[in-house]
Amino acid sequence: MNQLVEIRDVHKVYKRDSFDVPVLNGVSVSVPKGDFLALMGPSGSGKTTLLNLIAGIDRPTRGQVFVDGKEISAFSETKLAGWRATHVGFIFQMYNLIPVLNAFDNVELPLLLTKLNKRQRKEHVETALSVVGLSDRMNHYPRQLSGGQEQRVSIARAVVTDPTIIVADEPTGDLDAKSAHEILDLLQQLNRQHQKTIIMVTHDPKAAERARHVLHLDKGVLVESQEVLHEIRQAH
Amino acid sequence: MKFVKLIRRNLFRNKLRTILTLILMAAIFFFVSTLLSILENFETAANSGEGQNRLGVQSAISLANPLPLSHEAKIATIPGIVDIAKLQWVGAYYKEPKNFFANFAVDHEKMQTVWDDYSLPKDQLEAFKADRRGTIVGEELAKRYGWKIGDRIVLIGQIFPFNPELTVRGIAHHKFDNSSLFFHFDYFHEATKEMTGGMAGTYWVRVKDPKDMSRISQQIDDMFRNSEYPTETFTEKEFQQQFMAMIGNIKLLFTVVSVCAIFMVILLAAITMSMAARERVTEVAVLKAIGYTGGMILAIMLIEFVTLGFIGGLLGTLGAKLVYRFVNMTEVTQGFLVNFGVDAKTALTCLIAAIIVGFLAGGLPALRSARLSVVDGLRKVW
Repeated sequence: MNQLVEIRDVHKVYKRDSFDVPVLNGVSVSVPKGDFLALMGPSGSGKTTLLNLIAGIDRPTRGQVFVDGKEISAFSETKLAGWRATHVGFIFQMYNLIPVLNAFDNVELPLLLTKLNKRQRKEHVETALSVVGLSDRMNHYPRQLSGGQEQRVSIARAVVTDPTIIVADEPTGDLDAKSAHEILDLLQQLNRQHQKTIIMVTHDPKAAERARHVLHLDKGVLVESQEVLHEIRQAH
Repeated sequence: MKFVKLIRRNLFRNKLRTILTLILMAAIFFFVSTLLSILENFETAANSGEGQNRLGVQSAISLANPLPLSHEAKIATIPGIVDIAKLQWVGAYYKEPKNFFANFAVDHEKMQTVWDDYSLPKDQLEAFKADRRGTIVGEELAKRYGWKIGDRIVLIGQIFPFNPELTVRGIAHHKFDNSSLFFHFDYFHEATKEMTGGMAGTYWVRVKDPKDMSRISQQIDDMFRNSEYPTETFTEKEFQQQFMAMIGNIKLLFTVVSVCAIFMVILLAAITMSMAARERVTEVAVLKAIGYTGGMILAIMLIEFVTLGFIGGLLGTLGAKLVYRFVNMTEVTQGFLVNFGVDAKTALTCLIAAIIVGFLAGGLPALRSARLSVVDGLRKVW
């Protein structure tokens, strides 16, 4: 498989008042195109920071981040925003839909940054909502949807631009078991049937089990992978 | 245009807060447009004499000092003068002191030539001239007290010990002044000559050619410079402005109050807009994460805040315009404000001010949102 994401010796240090807080310490990772990667680790291990770097919403203190052959860590803020609009789909733990917009309008938000006309945008939104099984909830506002449905809308928003990569931070963290199961089915479907590359942060071994690979981080250092996956599968 | 829906929905996200903010802004701009309209009204009144070929002659000492009747014939000899008339401020009221309005004793024969800008039917003018106790009243004044032609009215003197007993003979219309009352100078003179010694408050001179105004004005003042009663001659516009200046520097006062009101609305709106921006921190972070740039966020939020300011300003200004269209302010203010209303210039000034309020009040919260770090914003989310 081609490597879609290349992280080379990345360090990340946050400044908190006058203190330096190292979060990532020389992490190198490759994620092949079409992979479904789960990032696991205890709180403070740096998994969300790593996800932020891959998604282009944060910059490494040292090291390089390549996505699809481009060094995004060297992009300007504006270029990076444009790059995210076309290459990254975000799924958040708390869904983070805009409460004053209905499902259709929420999913349309990333498309407003493209050159698509109104009719084309409508087609894309309807397709994305049908993929997540919410064609009949287009006009519902977030408050009128269940948690699972909100997360589906969030997934539709993430895939509507047909991004290169989908990043998800604890996508099932706020859901009941049944809804979580359905969301993981959906992510798996996006990966297997639509060949979407997905990188997911999770604490939940059941969620990680759905991934193709699992990377384990601890204290900002990476612990590989295949054995961890094996352990999880054995455990369940 | 693509973002209109997002802006519109955010604008009414918290309906109660938006409505209260709009009410606040509308109230302030109602107030400001009223103050500015009063200033504009004063300005119009001060300029009402512009374009009239009329000169006012008063005592060089002060307007309160009268001039001898003998001045009239001397002034009339100056070439270029069409006519000259006496005008005496009487300062009486009707029934009660609160019913106060401008009332003058005039040379009744000169109404046509010197004050031809007051229009009334010819038969009424003739009836006025023929009746020594006849009076001409402005149409607004007649409406205020329900006076009709033929009504007998008695004014009560304050400055002079004389209560003019008058019969309404004419109701006049004027472009600006519809709240004044005129009666015969002869009648006034007869009743007060022992007290005044035969004097007139002012003289008004109708000039044939406006180009001669300056020359004639100079000649009149030169004529009496070394006399016991020196004069000061003004154009009508200068005379009105001098009169307006007597009520103090209202313009400055009103301007200061307007600026304070606008400053207050900026502060209050800034608090509201900061709250609105603050509760959207995570949403802004999400928008930035999915590709919206800081500039876009700034533009979207500023448009929202400026729209809020504009709507508030529009409601207040239009509200004032409507209210003053239906409420007779001349009646309410006892003739102090004539032809009062919010004109297009004042409305436009208020709307521009409302847009500026939106910019100033919303600028900082919008800028803060635009500069928000995605990670910091999402830290509350991830």
